[in-house]
Amino acid sequence: MQTEWEWKDEAIVARVDGRVDGANAREFQQGLAAVIKASAGAVLLDMEKLSYISSAGLRVVLLAAKELRTQGSKFAICSLSASILEVFKISGFDQIVQIYGSQDEALAALNG
Amino acid sequence: MEDRPYKILVVDDEPDLQPLVLQRMRRNIRAGRYTFVFAGNGVEAIEQLNADRSIDMVLSDINMPRMDGLTLLEQIPKVDPNIRSVIISAYGDMRNIRTAMNRGAFDFVTKPLDFKDLQVTIDRTLRHMAEWRDALTARDKLIALQNELDIASNMQKSILPTTFPVSPAYGVSAHMEPARNVGGDFYDVIALQGGRLGLAVADVSDKGVPAALFMMSSRTLLKGAAIGRNNPGEALGEVNDLLIENNETAMFVTVIYAVYDPETGTFTYANGGHNTPLVVHPDGSSTELPLTRGVALGVMPGIEYQQNTITLEPGDTVLLYTDGVTEAMNSGNEEFGMERLRQIFADKPPQGPEEAHRDVFQAVHAFAGAVPQSDDITCLTLRHAGA
Repeated sequence: MQTEWEWKDEAIVARVDGRVDGANAREFQQGLAAVIKASAGAVLLDMEKLSYISSAGLRVVLLAAKELRTQGSKFAICSLSASILEVFKISGFDQIVQIYGSQDEALAALNG
Repeated sequence: MEDRPYKILVVDDEPDLQPLVLQRMRRNIRAGRYTFVFAGNGVEAIEQLNADRSIDMVLSDINMPRMDGLTLLEQIPKVDPNIRSVIISAYGDMRNIRTAMNRGAFDFVTKPLDFKDLQVTIDRTLRHMAEWRDALTARDKLIALQNELDIASNMQKSILPTTFPVSPAYGVSAHMEPARNVGGDFYDVIALQGGRLGLAVADVSDKGVPAALFMMSSRTLLKGAAIGRNNPGEALGEVNDLLIENNETAMFVTVIYAVYDPETGTFTYANGGHNTPLVVHPDGSSTELPLTRGVALGVMPGIEYQQNTITLEPGDTVLLYTDGVTEAMNSGNEEFGMERLRQIFADKPPQGPEEAHRDVFQAVHAFAGAVPQSDDITCLTLRHAGA
């Protein structure tokens, strides 16, 4: 698992790859904490390269969403594989977090 | 490495050694790397070690009055087993060197002392000791962590019912297998008014003692809500609102909660972000129950949980389970998945509630093989016999 990020206009795009489970959820949380700290308005989490996320990983996404909401920043996730999207649907988190099909679509919404 | 200089106790009855050591090691002493203290024999050395707990290492001669160096080696661990000793022996005195090493000396130097060699030996000994201390600290941390996980594991086990109501109209059974790193699955079977049953399977995010505490309160709140409300959707809504108070850590729990009425065979369920139940029919075919689009509990206040009712046919078996079943991995990094779960019963329709979950665990174990279990696995089964 690795988290990298870059600026795209006003938004930070963070990419996470591999598996996020109980063993590395803390590392993922620290990666996102750095992104949240640097952010100024909007964060997009691109999950295109994410192969698996456990409930411990979902909790980290949820924490990020809460933190950003408190900051008054926007937050969205994009490019979920079918199985990851299923995890968000089953847990009901698709009703909590904005989900977009592609990075372009998400950035248009976040930067617009 | 520690900030203070290492303290080395030099033990020798030769009075000349003290000024010689201080003179030849003066650079290291001035640089704050070592300090030296001195004793004239083994007895004095033990007194000093007892009086000064900051001594890291002992450098000792062998032949001394009152207590010799070999006897001293046996005494040092009684004061502190983490002190390392280096012996000064006569050149070629293999017999004493071997005895010293057998008694726990870390290394030896020979007379006449070569101070360059002595310094290399001291440095190596101190480096070894620093690593040893780090390893001890790591071990202590690991033990503390293991204790925490044991507490969590015991909390988890203590709340799971192991006996289940018996009735000619139905059979119910459940089993949970914890992962090595405690997750936070639980199940419950709650007797309700009018002979009805409340059935719950839940999975708490994260692990360890905080997750176990969250699980305990989830389970208690759910039991209370189950008894107080007839309606599974309302029960989940109530538990959700209660869990959200003071949940700073964003922990959450996915829950499937159902009320079963043996008289009518109705099975009403509400889902808080959990895997949907599977109904297995007597011929081995199965139906996944529709999701009711509920959010995991503890995430957002004021959620209304939808519920759905089905009517079980005689011989139907309902399977409530956690993602430990469907997300169990094999050595090829594949997930067990829903299809394999359904296939178990297509090959062999469930004979009874206990047999049904036993078959699930067997199939998951066979699939995972030697891959360690990363999540708790829970399975609750209800077989409706019908009137």
